[in-house]
Amino acid sequence: MTNMNNHPYHLVDYSPWPLTGAIGTLTLVTGMVKWFHNFNMNLLILGYMITLLTMFQWWRDICREGTFQGKHTMLVSKGLRWGMILFIISEVFFFLSFFWAFFHSSLSPNIEIGSMWPPMSITPFNPFQIPLLNTIILITSGVTVTWAHHALMENNFSQTSQGLFITIMLGIYFSILQAYEYLEAPFTISDSIYGSTFFMATGFHGLHVIIGTLFLLICLIRHMNNHFSMNHHFGFEAAAWYWHFVDVVWLFLYISIYWWGY
Amino acid sequence: MASLCRQIIRGNAFKSVILSNARRGFADKMMPDPLEHATGLEKKELLALQSGDDDPFNMKVLKKKAGTKDMPTLVPSCFDARIVGCICDEHATAINWLWLHKGHPRRCECGHWYKLIEKTPL
Repeated sequence: MTNMNNHPYHLVDYSPWPLTGAIGTLTLVTGMVKWFHNFNMNLLILGYMITLLTMFQWWRDICREGTFQGKHTMLVSKGLRWGMILFIISEVFFFLSFFWAFFHSSLSPNIEIGSMWPPMSITPFNPFQIPLLNTIILITSGVTVTWAHHALMENNFSQTSQGLFITIMLGIYFSILQAYEYLEAPFTISDSIYGSTFFMATGFHGLHVIIGTLFLLICLIRHMNNHFSMNHHFGFEAAAWYWHFVDVVWLFLYISIYWWGY
Repeated sequence: MASLCRQIIRGNAFKSVILSNARRGFADKMMPDPLEHATGLEKKELLALQSGDDDPFNMKVLKKKAGTKDMPTLVPSCFDARIVGCICDEHATAINWLWLHKGHPRRCECGHWYKLIEKTPL
């Protein structure tokens, strides 16, 4: 009997990251509780450090396995694709619950908020100012990420970096404008159900934009280090899928919360 | 005269636009051949596909041969034995599993013969 294998599966090596990840998230949550009760962030910061180090090193290992060890056969890649698809579907349902809360409260507004939407004495944002600009920015970034993808499929190194760079810049621009709008907001998260649903939905979307921008930034760095080829770039595709998802969520947020709810 | 003008314009346009851009490094940098970029098992799989083997890991359902004792269905394996699942006829609702050992052709209950052949791992 030979001890050689003949299968396309990736049997992963022993890794400390699941354990450090568990320790990190436990520390993070405990640290958050400690922060809320004692106004002391020390344990929270330790939790952040352990979790961030785990994330960095775990994903670094995956890049090494795929790029430098050739572990990602077609079947493995298919598994990664399914993983990303299912992850994004779970995120869709995550946002669905925020939209549910929004429509529940806005379609039949309670007497407590003046039986009207936006609630009595809430001044919402004008949807045709910064939010419309943000819509244009995100749609444009969807175009540039597609440009980068097509450049990558055509083996064009320069245009892939250019397309990715512009997409990341647009993502950062979006985040800056959202931060500016949050600072200027005439209502807060504690201002009635309007503030709660508004900041919950747009806040989580903003968090996703930041994560998506980081994901694309990692792709740009990996591209600069020649990790991708025209038929081996699933990391990039996953980032692009994620970015489109964030883009589509924004369109729904814009149409229902900013525009219809104005 | 017209052709002379065309030559001048074309020549200069070619030189100034295409050549100088390339010289200044404005031309797009292209990436290397994806096969050269790949490594490990991923590369072996790509090479196998390129050489016409569309099932390098023997994952697909085997096409049955005649299945007589002289002409058994050949089952490739990198090991000394492999489990075979015989779909005895196309309407079969269950699969008949049998261990197949190297050097010992085996007959399924339905009468179909199988033989293990050695295969070097990818």
